[in-house]
Amino acid sequence: MSQIERPQLAAEVEHALREIGRVDLLVGIPSYNNARTIGHVVRAVMAGLAKYFPEYTAVIVNSDGGSKDGTPEVVRQAALGDYRAILAAHPRHPIHRLTTPYHGVPGKGSALRLVFDIAVRLQARACAVVDADLRSITPEWMDLLIGPLLKEGFDFVAPLYRRHKYDGTITNSIVYPLTRTLYGKRVRQPIGGDFGFSGRLAAHYLAQDVWHTDVARFGVDIWMTTTAITGGFRVCQAFLGAKIHDAKDPGVDLSGMLMQVVGSVFDLMEANFPIWANVRGSEPVPTFGLEYEVGLEPIRVNVERMLGIFRLGAEELKDLWQRILSPSTFRQVQQIAGSSEAHFRFPPDVWVSVIYDFALAFHRHVIHRDHLLQALVPLYLGRTASFVLETLESTAEEVEAVIEELCRHFEERKPELVAQWGAPDAGG
Amino acid sequence: MFEALKTALVGTFQRFEERALAFLPNFFALVILLFAGWIVAAVVRSLLGRALRAIRFDRWCEQMGIVQVLRRAEIRRAPSYLLAQAFFWLLFLFFLVVGLEQLEIALVSRMLAAVFGYLPRVVAALLILVGGFLLANFLARAALLAAVNAHLASARLLAGGVRLLIVSIALAMALEQLALAAHIVVAAFSIFFGGVTLALAIAFGLAGRDLARDVLRRQFSPRREEDELSHL
Repeated sequence: MSQIERPQLAAEVEHALREIGRVDLLVGIPSYNNARTIGHVVRAVMAGLAKYFPEYTAVIVNSDGGSKDGTPEVVRQAALGDYRAILAAHPRHPIHRLTTPYHGVPGKGSALRLVFDIAVRLQARACAVVDADLRSITPEWMDLLIGPLLKEGFDFVAPLYRRHKYDGTITNSIVYPLTRTLYGKRVRQPIGGDFGFSGRLAAHYLAQDVWHTDVARFGVDIWMTTTAITGGFRVCQAFLGAKIHDAKDPGVDLSGMLMQVVGSVFDLMEANFPIWANVRGSEPVPTFGLEYEVGLEPIRVNVERMLGIFRLGAEELKDLWQRILSPSTFRQVQQIAGSSEAHFRFPPDVWVSVIYDFALAFHRHVIHRDHLLQALVPLYLGRTASFVLETLESTAEEVEAVIEELCRHFEERKPELVAQWGAPDAGG
Repeated sequence: MFEALKTALVGTFQRFEERALAFLPNFFALVILLFAGWIVAAVVRSLLGRALRAIRFDRWCEQMGIVQVLRRAEIRRAPSYLLAQAFFWLLFLFFLVVGLEQLEIALVSRMLAAVFGYLPRVVAALLILVGGFLLANFLARAALLAAVNAHLASARLLAGGVRLLIVSIALAMALEQLALAAHIVVAAFSIFFGGVTLALAIAFGLAGRDLARDVLRRQFSPRREEDELSHL
């Protein structure tokens, strides 16, 4: 195997690692300008490690992207205060803390690469990464993300959140059904952002030559999940309850988000075709943690705007869609665009055709890839609008059944995708 | 006098005969060169066409939008065919030039020198036009997609404007390369471009104040219209 370049560490970090020597557990927190929230995250992690793993040595690693708001200082100063509120006895080992900037391509992937490297250097047995802007993290998350690794021998723990029925529509309509169909594992939230992984898997991640690609920028979450599955590692998921982030920038661009996430999924399809071509059906993964209902705030959804963009796309992007979609799929999409809001439905089988046609067009370089992914946005909004209208009166369980039905369509049509992927270019 | 005229005419016809006899071999050399050139150019055209099809050149042109540009110009032939044909005529032109040089006619030599002196400008102008059309196509499509996804009703107009702007710049640059009334072209382009910019400024500044306010408001405070979905 060729030598993969390791990330550079500052001298004081190298010194600190030599001082620490070896740990059992490592928790990574990538950050960038998260001073408002990272203190709570660090305290929750410390409490969780102290409460559930008092016999183990541990380190918290903050991999920072050059924050200007004092995030590293907050990490260094965060303290639990009086342990007696949560612990019956004082923890045996102090929890080390490291905060260091990462280098390389800016993005979460580069931050996690540093975490993987430190985990390998310290020979950590079990690791977890959590986002720095979490408001709903509790000490129990440590038990749920690390427990299955230490006690049950798993290598990868994906998160399972209780979300509003309309949250995570990219995950629910594209990433989850596609990842499940391709790789055969029903990891419900493959891009959750909070994961557990073994030291063995950390070494495997570190050895991959992806750190100068889009994985380093924004594709690391789906890459971690996919690599764990395709690498033959033992995968499970853990119920963490609600996931509440710090409020994001309202100007975050859906188009950019879709391009990054779906582009990453399609890129991984290219790399892993020999594996997913031979997977049939899917199986559930073991789930840890007691699932419970969480009271969630209602959210406002502007269906009219979504339909407006979808119809505008059907009119103005006709030429482009004709090059990407098969003739029958294109006709069906145009028919859907012509229906009224009261009768608007984007059936799951048509949606599956759209996603598979886009995946094939991406594979065949029909047009520039960024343009291809941007052309998917109006279709995604049309599907989301239909989903919202269809499930207005539905409970969370009923919505989950709708998503399950969508996944069934994806899996049934997979043989067509495999056949067309490997076929000579037939054009769009 | 009659004798003098007869001598002059005979002399003229003799000189003509000499020159014709001297010219004919060169002329036959020209014909043979043209014939050979035609064959060589045809062979190169055939080989080049096959090579371009083997590397899927037509597919690449379709991805880059070149095929769409050609279709708009009512050219239905594949790009590989067109490029191979272009090389055919270039090669044949080369043989024609070499052949014409053989005639050793001063006027022809001067004309050839002028044509070949101008040829680099023509090539540069063609490259500018091709590059300009490709860029216009790419950016117009990017503008169309961004406008549609931002729910702008005038998406196609915006994309058309982007295409027109870039094509105009490319055309002006190409004409300047060809030195065809360069000053007039530059002046006309400046007036047109400046006029469009001024018109847009007036439209947004005065007549479209409310529209501009709405556009800017939507751009910088999107929460009023956006939903609260967390898509990931």
